[in-house]
Amino acid sequence: MPPLSEALSVELVELLPRLRRFARALAGNMSDADDLVQIAIERALSRAEQLHDGAPLAGWMFGILRNAWIDEVRGRARRNRVFVPEELGAQVPDPSSGQALLLPVQQALQRLPDEQREVIGLVLIEGLSYREAAQIIDVPIGTVTSRLARGREALQAMLGDVEQERA
Amino acid sequence: MNPSDETLMAYADGELDAATRKQVEASMAADPQVARRLAAHQALRSQLHASFDKVLEEPVPPHLIALVRSAAKGSEVGQVLQFPRKQAQRRAWLQWSSLAASFVLGALLWQLASRMYPTAPITESKGALVASGALARALNSRLASQQTASDPVQIGVSFRSRQGAYCRTFQLRDTAATAGLACHGDDDWIVQVAARADASATAHSQYRQAASSLPPVVLEAVQEAIAGEPLDAGAEAQARAAGWRAGH
Repeated sequence: MPPLSEALSVELVELLPRLRRFARALAGNMSDADDLVQIAIERALSRAEQLHDGAPLAGWMFGILRNAWIDEVRGRARRNRVFVPEELGAQVPDPSSGQALLLPVQQALQRLPDEQREVIGLVLIEGLSYREAAQIIDVPIGTVTSRLARGREALQAMLGDVEQERA
Repeated sequence: MNPSDETLMAYADGELDAATRKQVEASMAADPQVARRLAAHQALRSQLHASFDKVLEEPVPPHLIALVRSAAKGSEVGQVLQFPRKQAQRRAWLQWSSLAASFVLGALLWQLASRMYPTAPITESKGALVASGALARALNSRLASQQTASDPVQIGVSFRSRQGAYCRTFQLRDTAATAGLACHGDDDWIVQVAARADASATAHSQYRQAASSLPPVVLEAVQEAIAGEPLDAGAEAQARAAGWRAGH
């Protein structure tokens, strides 16, 4: 693993709360989300030579995390929704895991198609521009806006705000 | 003019140029319905933030920080793991770098551990993972001969490392069978390696361990570090009396 410069490692540690937030939006629960962050860090460290001090770290890391989710974690998160691991069944649910206490908006987000959830996460939660989100997902900007529109509409419908939508 | 939904969303997302923004604002002023549609978009944004921004307040799991720090130049994690290797590559696969990796990667369980204990058994301090709470107390005071099966922390073998430090293996009973090796530094027990002993909850195949009492990665670390034989009960008691200081 090539060594990371001190400045970059500090920057990456400072980015961890946001990576965890984006991962939570994608994966839905804390344990899958933190696994996802870990995989993203491992991948980033294995190609740290692509980075130099002052390079835009956040967008690069969001992209790595998003791809790691597509490749590795998405399927597992889906399975976990169906099969509760046996060892967890024996333990008292922990409120801080957030799993038992997902807010309505979080539940609604988890029910969106993946392609809508990721743009909602990048633009509405992480505050990236449409252009940055398009680069990360590797689609045209028009695709980002149409997925955002559909995702928003679905979320608002699930959250019962449809009457406000009627023009 | 009635702006399209996509235009209103772009307005809420700050994506419009100044001219289009002015048009939207003009139509909002003329038609309260447009203002209401925009308010719905802004409300959704706030709702998402209100729920997901809580993640930013949570403490970041130490293993994630340690993983990043382990790759930084001059990392203390790397230094902690510099045991002298007098014997030639007895186990070639176990490079210290890979042990350093498993040391941080095996730490997948800290988040679970920290939920189960009032004080997390392992915390991060200056880039190293240090035993604390019930684990530190057991490492400091427990003699292997005096423990009961119900103790949440089980102490295994104690030995002197080739560097002269006292080391002890441990198992955390109520945290998904975590086992590890800690060596006494100047003041603390530095966790050299830790891994889950069960396979069910781990994410990646390389972390899966056979269901033996100590995971292989921990056994390998012991074999790599140990100088001579494990301490017998008398030597263990003497070491405890000396505060696990390497001097004598």
